Amino acid sequence: MSRLRSQDKLKSILKDYFVCLSSPLAWCTSVGPAEILRALGFNVYFPENHGALLGASRTAGKYIPRAHQAGYDDEICSYLTADIGAYLMGETPLSQAYGLPSIPRPDLIVFNTNQCREVAEWFGFFGREFGCPVVGIMPPRHITEVSQADIDNVVGQFEKAIKIGGEIMGRPLDYGRLKETVALSKQGAVLWREVLETARKAPSPLTFWDGTILMAPIVMLRGTQVCVDFYQEMLDELRQLMNAKQAAVPDEQVRLFWEGMPIWGRLRALSDLFAENHAAVVASTYCNSWVFDCFNPEDPLRSMAEAYTRVFINRSEDAKLGILRELLDNYHIDGIVFHDSKTCFNNTNSRFNLPGRLQKATGVPSLTIDGDLNDLRFFSEGQVRTKIETFVELLKTLKQ
Amino acid sequence: MNGSFLGIDLGSSYTKFIVIDEGAIIVDAEVIPTLSRRREVLDKAMSGILSRFNIQCICATGYGRRNVQADLHKTELICAAAGVSVTHKMHKSILDIGGEDIKIIESDANGSVVDFYMNNKCSAGTGTFITEIADRAELDIAEMSTLASKSKSDRTINSFCTVFAKSEILGWKFGGVPIEDIARGIYLAVVDRVHKLPLKKGMPLFLCGGVIAHHPFLAGLLAERLQADIRVVEQPQYAVALGAARLAQEEMMSAKPVRESPWITRKLSKT
Repeated sequence: MSRLRSQDKLKSILKDYFVCLSSPLAWCTSVGPAEILRALGFNVYFPENHGALLGASRTAGKYIPRAHQAGYDDEICSYLTADIGAYLMGETPLSQAYGLPSIPRPDLIVFNTNQCREVAEWFGFFGREFGCPVVGIMPPRHITEVSQADIDNVVGQFEKAIKIGGEIMGRPLDYGRLKETVALSKQGAVLWREVLETARKAPSPLTFWDGTILMAPIVMLRGTQVCVDFYQEMLDELRQLMNAKQAAVPDEQVRLFWEGMPIWGRLRALSDLFAENHAAVVASTYCNSWVFDCFNPEDPLRSMAEAYTRVFINRSEDAKLGILRELLDNYHIDGIVFHDSKTCFNNTNSRFNLPGRLQKATGVPSLTIDGDLNDLRFFSEGQVRTKIETFVELLKTLKQ
Repeated sequence: MNGSFLGIDLGSSYTKFIVIDEGAIIVDAEVIPTLSRRREVLDKAMSGILSRFNIQCICATGYGRRNVQADLHKTELICAAAGVSVTHKMHKSILDIGGEDIKIIESDANGSVVDFYMNNKCSAGTGTFITEIADRAELDIAEMSTLASKSKSDRTINSFCTVFAKSEILGWKFGGVPIEDIARGIYLAVVDRVHKLPLKKGMPLFLCGGVIAHHPFLAGLLAERLQADIRVVEQPQYAVALGAARLAQEEMMSAKPVRESPWITRKLSKT
């Protein structure tokens, strides 16, 4: 049995989700306009989840070289290379886990470059493979604030996706259904935020490591009642743990923030390493990226455009500094770990001295570790262990 | 027999042992290659120490620290700060050039780490870098410092990659570059690497680690190029093991019960 009941519940939810992935089916990026696709009547599949699954199951290392052989460089997104490599080898962990013969075939592919341009190349590959329409939402990038003009721009692109999706489904979008879907997304996102915020209390009942797994519904089932119900139950469970003073990390001595991508193939090892050193990683920009406070069912398209354009990864360094300052304060953070992910330039935030500026602004010390989201050839176990153990000891000394 | 404290530094190239007595005086210092094919070399060194001293507490450090049983396992950065602070009780920076990494540690006067930096996953500028390039240049490591001191050349290796640097050295050799200039060029490449690291001004910089121990020319070159108050610690190769021994002693002094059975009976775990 898992530490949290919600982890067991998640397994059955995901099974139900994957076995129902039949046509009409759309692929979507994880912070893409899934509400539009659901409201049009598509089942929605998220290749980034598949990429993470390849990393977490430590099969990515088997597939990445196959993508290199096909001409995809070894320093581009290792979600992309793992996913394309697995496809070229005709394998998927979904077969063993859920009995799927292959990844589900799309009728439509939609991506949003609010995270990175790599998704355009990744999804474009599959568009050519499956011969289906590929629609790209390309919002303004690296912005400090989201303007009305930016929202107008993105709404215009949503309308193009709605038109193409409607043609495939043979019926126009039902805006009433879109409003209902956005309402469910909002409920789910608010509950997800409340779940994450339970970690503001010391000792925390929840860690970043739990979050990387338990975030699956807000990514893949956003806009559904299943997602809302899951996080309501999870919130109840965490509140019970808080009342019982049950900590996720026994004898929590320091509280850390994780910035950047997870290292999917080393989640357990890193979770154990921090716990051994009585360090609780209680918050992250990664998990918080699916907190969408802007959703408004009465203005679904504009609120979606704003929510998906103002995500952390799409913001300027100044905006990122402000967001991080607030999170460090809200979660009572003693130290921040930046993950410099070799193949994920867009979600690596240590390369333009943000750690230095953040430390100057907040006094919170930072550590940068080298690694990768999926390609473990870029991860050195011994070096990372040494850095983390030293950093945690340093933080303990500073707290004395 | 009075109590003693053992620090073991299992580095990527060498394993260093330091035993200190209750007055924190070094009573034994030993070094063996870490990658000896025969595990019994390590076991024998340990058994010898355990039979000769009344070891009260052991602290293991270095990349291999988890491969020996010890009361404490501390990182080499924490131990370097503790080790250098045994005799240098001041706020300071420490540059530890090891077999596979370069570390900068800012330590307070008491030996606590205040800040640190480690190189990323690349061996450029480390002991392995020097060994590999020297091997390609057919340079005897023991003579490198003497040879380099005879050169005034500013020729340096451009490549950060150890493998490509070896190819570059091949070009130098074919081009008839004098061996003294090659030796100095290798050291200049290490200094270039250190120069890019975030060193803080306004405090002395202590050098430790095996590379400094075997390449004394490097210290002078670093002082010249970095324009810093550079000092080499006594027995630089043992500084980290000394810190480990010191932390072992502090652990015993922190009011923990004295071990009932002596360490001599303990079997080492197998790697």
